[in-house]
Amino acid sequence: MNKTISINLAGVVFNIDENAYQKLDKYLQTISGYFSEADGKKEIMADIESRVAEMFQERMSNTRNVVSEEDVDHVISIMGQPEDYLENHEGEKSTETETESEATYTEKRLFRDPDNRVLGGVCSGIGHYFGFDPIFLRILFVLALVFFGSGVLLYIILWAIIPKAVTASDKLQMKGEAITVDNIKRRVQDEAERVKKKISKTRGSGSSVNQFGSELQSLGERIFGFFANIIR
Amino acid sequence: MNIENTKAQMRKGILEFCILSILHKKEAYPSEIIEELKEAKLIVVEGTLYPLLTRLKNSGLLNYRWEESSSGPPRKYYKLTELGEKFSQELKNTWDELKKAVETVQKPIKK
Repeated sequence: MNKTISINLAGVVFNIDENAYQKLDKYLQTISGYFSEADGKKEIMADIESRVAEMFQERMSNTRNVVSEEDVDHVISIMGQPEDYLENHEGEKSTETETESEATYTEKRLFRDPDNRVLGGVCSGIGHYFGFDPIFLRILFVLALVFFGSGVLLYIILWAIIPKAVTASDKLQMKGEAITVDNIKRRVQDEAERVKKKISKTRGSGSSVNQFGSELQSLGERIFGFFANIIR
Repeated sequence: MNIENTKAQMRKGILEFCILSILHKKEAYPSEIIEELKEAKLIVVEGTLYPLLTRLKNSGLLNYRWEESSSGPPRKYYKLTELGEKFSQELKNTWDELKKAVETVQKPIKK
């Protein structure tokens, strides 16, 4: 016996086994990580989803109306493994800008980190770029605010000009990791883990207010420890 | 020198030309294009076609219209724009020249 999930693919509703859903979701997310908005990602993904929906529908009948893992495997075998997309995609790019694209893959870029932020993710983004713990920068900003009354404007300007890391490849570039199929896959998996953990955490502690309180407390402790170090 | 890589590169260049040639013959939706490409052994998996079509469309070579389908979500029927027709004609000329060129250099030496 399997639990099923109801999904909407290109406007068509399907009932899908839970494990099949996870497989399909991972597949689509991995592919979507390869394309940027400039490539027309939304449109490409909509086209792919609509083709997947068409294939599912061909395989459904009156007596069989739940999409199984085999159906997902079948679709993937026809549409191609995520690696196939990347090969084609990169090939196209490299014929246009061969040397350039290679350089940008390993180069670090400055992004705001939405996963690890207090306000806009500016400090953690800069921290990633230069490779230090963002807490120091945060304290610096707070100190500047308290003692000189400035820093707010600088922060807002940085917030405005540094782009937010949205796609998986942005996040890899932010951390200076190479954009490969494996890395993107890993990122997507990490992301899923993170969301899962967040959900179970909020469930476990009873309320998110509690969690926020304890986070505030630990932040206070960290700042206090910092001052204690200075005095010593 | 990797033979697979060289083959893939050659195929890639011709793939766009073939898509334009198919659409020059008739309006088509992705699955039809894929059928023809598969028959010609130019493409193995379907997914790779979608980014290509989007790119050609964004370059102004193709446009599309929606058509309801009895067996699923509505389909995008692609066809060449005026620019696409011109582009396809030029590629065809280049292809004919290249074909001749390859045949010329491969001709055995006359004794």
